[in-house]
Amino acid sequence: MIWVTWRQHRAQILLTAAFLAALGLLLLGSAIEATLYVSGHAAPGCPGSAPACAPLEVALGERYDAIYSIFGWMPLVLPALIGAFWGAPLLGREYERGTHRLAWTQAVPVWRWLAVKLAVLGGVVVAGGLLLSLMVSLWRPVFRAGIESSFGNVGVFNMVGVAPAAWWLYAFALGTLAGTVLRRTMPAMALVVAGVAVTMFTLFALSEHYATPERVVLSDTTVLADPDARLVGATWVDPSGREIDSPGAEVCPRRVDAGRSNRNTEAWEKCLFGKGYGYAVSYHPPTMFWRFQWTEAGILLLASGVMGGLAVRRTLRRTA
Amino acid sequence: MIEFQLDRSSGVSTYLQLVHQVRQALRLGTLRPGDKLPTAREVVESLAINPNTVLKAYRELEREGLVAGKPGLGTFVERGLPGGTLADHTRLRRGLETWVRQAREAGLDEEDLRTLFGAVLADAAREGVA
Amino acid sequence: MRPPVLEATGLGVRYRRGWALRDCSLALPAGRVAALVGPNGAGKTTLMHAAVGLLAPARGSVVVRGQAAFVAQDKPLYETFTVAEMLTFGRRTNLRWDQPAALKRLAGLDIPLDRKVGRLSGGQQAQVALTIALARTPDLLVLDEPLANLDPVARHDVMRAIMAEVAEHGLSVLLSSHVVSDLEETCDWLVVLNGGRLQVSGDIEDLLAGHLVLTGPAELAGTLTGAGGSMGRVQVVAASRTARQVRMLVRGEPPLDPRWRARQPGLDELVMGYLRSPESVALPGLAQVGR
Repeated sequence: MIWVTWRQHRAQILLTAAFLAALGLLLLGSAIEATLYVSGHAAPGCPGSAPACAPLEVALGERYDAIYSIFGWMPLVLPALIGAFWGAPLLGREYERGTHRLAWTQAVPVWRWLAVKLAVLGGVVVAGGLLLSLMVSLWRPVFRAGIESSFGNVGVFNMVGVAPAAWWLYAFALGTLAGTVLRRTMPAMALVVAGVAVTMFTLFALSEHYATPERVVLSDTTVLADPDARLVGATWVDPSGREIDSPGAEVCPRRVDAGRSNRNTEAWEKCLFGKGYGYAVSYHPPTMFWRFQWTEAGILLLASGVMGGLAVRRTLRRTA
Repeated sequence: MIEFQLDRSSGVSTYLQLVHQVRQALRLGTLRPGDKLPTAREVVESLAINPNTVLKAYRELEREGLVAGKPGLGTFVERGLPGGTLADHTRLRRGLETWVRQAREAGLDEEDLRTLFGAVLADAAREGVA
Repeated sequence: MRPPVLEATGLGVRYRRGWALRDCSLALPAGRVAALVGPNGAGKTTLMHAAVGLLAPARGSVVVRGQAAFVAQDKPLYETFTVAEMLTFGRRTNLRWDQPAALKRLAGLDIPLDRKVGRLSGGQQAQVALTIALARTPDLLVLDEPLANLDPVARHDVMRAIMAEVAEHGLSVLLSSHVVSDLEETCDWLVVLNGGRLQVSGDIEDLLAGHLVLTGPAELAGTLTGAGGSMGRVQVVAASRTARQVRMLVRGEPPLDPRWRARQPGLDELVMGYLRSPESVALPGLAQVGR
């Protein structure tokens, strides 16, 4: 059965491996090049969070614009591709071509056929996701030493830790189920792409409930000191500590800013802070990284298990 | 070795066609005692018919004592049919050819010939000659 | 005496839109080539799928004694596999597998092992599908419309191959077709399905010998057909009449009245007679089957 699985799915396996290898080479190349560039152009102590490092960061950003844009799309596109090309055809193509009547009438029982395919392909998908995470984790510090963004930026968050593996597995399970229900490859592929996108936005909206957010009242700025935190909400509090929607114009007059300037807003905020107002921010600090990673992975794994189980049940019910 | 043929439009059942062909081969001397009949597999592989049909035909021939099955070896011809020697056949055939030519010259068509031949056969049977 | 190779008892299969097979009880004797005939939608494919485990019955049961090999109607194969890889597929998914026999068959048919399955002709694909089924050395070979979409030469070749296996290994075959003339010389057992119900199951020779086509004056029809559609030992399967003459397919003893002309029906006539009268049945008692 393992030979059968390999022979039927080697195209996907080899393509994915080739993609990961190419991506690895791209990341490695850009990392080496960037290291050389940094050592030639960086001010002392850079790259880092010091203001003097900003020009370097901008320069790096411009140099590797293309890689950054690939990077930006990967968290959504890769799971969608896995779901569409690994999951959807797994049972969808068998039904579509009628080959399930060949495969499931041999001596190997259907449950074993399913178990081997799901275990082998699911395992390879998880391994691929972990490999991607490893490569990204090794690559990022070269550009962002000292500037952590793997928690606050959800795109980066989904590319490191266990998130890619969980997302890939989820997409694989979703594709498998879609192929089983629809019994056609193309519609199942479309469904999986839409499903992954919807899930990603849903989980992002849900993610602030993964833990109780911390709350801090700022008395001289509206910007959190930690740029990697995930903001949950913010509101003004009056001098008595009561939360208010927005301080009235009678407290501090506010004029509208023109163009890209925010001079008037800053003046207004300064006035409020001067009168004893505070800015209450609730947020998740970056120390929550692993809790969020495991919570999200747990949800995705559970969903994968349920969808995989449904696909198996539907297949074993034998309605040829 | 005999090679069977099927006439699918004859209306005669397949197994009877096989029996007739063996009998005819025995009469004509193309099959002789000791000869082996093709195995059921060989027959069905060339004719695409049910093997049980072949076995049934062979059983019928066996019942008539014309052939005998030897387990593990095949089915063999036991005895020929008294249809005259090959020389007799040749001589009689010549005579028949002459007769047909004369009948043609007398203006009889094919149907007339068959009717005449059939009538003579029937008369002969009644008189106990054939 | 070998026990029946396939036995269905009260078998019922339903789809969302209704019953595809109802209360179907039959037994196929071992070593026979059984023809499963009936119009499209009669339940032939459903019965076969249930027999090979592709469908779970809603009622009753169907049991195959020994191993069944199945070739579905469109002869599905993995088109991107080479012929050799298809054989490996068979070897890896079966415990019983006769690779030398499979290689010999394909060599005899001049089918190259390194050719992609998708590039073979329809007849060659049918032969590869059949080779995989036969290499499993099954006790029962189930073939859904094995001759559909094949040219006459390929039909003959496929039938020759099946018959040769039957002769050599004594396996049993259940094959479906909606063209009765395909089956006349190859099958020795007849199963007729009509509208999801079993109508006929029996030895073809016995069936033909047990039926008569009667032609006679119309006024004689009443002497055979009583109120219940049968009288004495004669059962009228189907009848067609003009003003003066009646023609009937009957089961049982020939009538005594000399004005009847009687002859044995052909397989075509027998099948058509039953299909035209879905209420007629000719089923043996199950005990009688093992002969």
